[in-house]
Parts: sequence; structure tokens; C-alpha cells
Amino acid sequence: MSLTVVKGLQSEIFVPVTPKSVWAPVTKPMNEWVVGLATAAGVHLKSQERFNLAGDFTWRKIPNDTPEDQLMVSHGGYDNSDVNKDINCMFPITRIHELAKDGVIKGAAPFHAGFMGGGGNIEKFTNETGPAVAAMFKEEGVDAVIVTAG
Amino acid sequence: MQRAIESVGIPTVIVAALPPVVRQAGTPRAVAPLVPMGANAGAPHDVEMQYNVCKDALQFIAECETPGKIEPLPYEYHAVI
Repeated sequence: MSLTVVKGLQSEIFVPVTPKSVWAPVTKPMNEWVVGLATAAGVHLKSQERFNLAGDFTWRKIPNDTPEDQLMVSHGGYDNSDVNKDINCMFPITRIHELAKDGVIKGAAPFHAGFMGGGGNIEKFTNETGPAVAAMFKEEGVDAVIVTAG
Repeated sequence: MQRAIESVGIPTVIVAALPPVVRQAGTPRAVAPLVPMGANAGAPHDVEMQYNVCKDALQFIAECETPGKIEPLPYEYHAVI
């Protein structure tokens, strides 16, 4: 059987391309990790500027010792009702403190990151927001990051 | 975001409610409890579930050897709408 080959033929079906993989190796045992949190759920301090619900590529630096009742969510892209009841649904800060207390990890990062996912200026996210958050975690000496999004 | 953090040398894991979306975005490592968007780390005030989701997510960083792997987590929460 011979195949019919047409040069330059493309599928009519949109086939998105998955980006090349990125990979950072683990270098220490878990009980020596300082763990950071990055959430796309629109978490920030009540005293900080709210996110623009129509699309916002900025991010907020969240101190590790922030009490739960000083945190809030502004995000127009998902049902906020669970996270409004308990911030740990998307930003499990208290659970990270418990894991540190139990010796599962060494500790929590001094600062975490909140931003508003779900679209917006992807170019800015890729070229500015992402690298800025990564640089903060790098500077803090963070060993692992839990991201909540998607 | 996850890719940016990973590319400076810090291993990450994403806790995802929508595994196909994070696969498409090129996640290095993901865990997927059975949760709705907005409660990725577990049901509100369910300390045990949230604790275990975080612990298993970190454990997955330590164990995962294949970039792009998405590990289902055995926790389930249905939001009542």
C-alpha cells in the first residue's frame, strides 16, 4: 500500500503545541526544604491593591507571618466561595506551617506570591511576572514551591 | 509561573483542579486531587485533607522522575452549589 503525500497539508483541527519541558532537579531531602507558595487564585493582603478583575499581570508579595484574616481574594475567573470561607483552599499557608512544625519540611519561605491567573497579558506573565516571582524565591533560598492554579 | 520558577533551578509542583489545562501549559510536575476550581488544596476547613494534599504534593516533588507527569491524589471534595 502506498501513502498519498501532499506537501504542506495541514490539519483543519487546531492542535495546540505543548511547550518544551523545564526541569529543576531535587538536591536535598524533604525535611531540609524551605517551601514557598505561589497561587494564581488572586490572593493578597487586605491592605494591598486588589487585582483588576478584567485581567491583571501584576503580583503581590505575601509575608509568611500574615494572619489568615488579613488575606483576601480578588479574582473574577472562578467561584470564590470556598476560598472566601477558608484561604487555605487555594493558599495553604497554615498547612505549610503545620508541616514545618511536624518536621516534614524545614520551614516556610519568608515571602510567598499571589497573582491572578486565568488569562490576561500572557506575554507580560511570561516575560515579567514569572521571572520576578522566580527571582524572589531564588533570593529567599527556597528549595521547593507549591503552585496552586488550573 | 511554574515554568519560570523551575527554570531558575527551584523544583515545583502544581496542585491542579484541571489536569488537562496544566498538561497543555507544559507543567513539569503536577498533582491532581478530585476537587473543583477554587479549592485545589482541599475542602474549606478540612485540615486533614489540605495537610495531606500539601504533604503528598511535596512528596511528589521528591519522587517524580519524569517531566510532565501528573499524579492523581486520592482525595475528593464536591462543592455544593
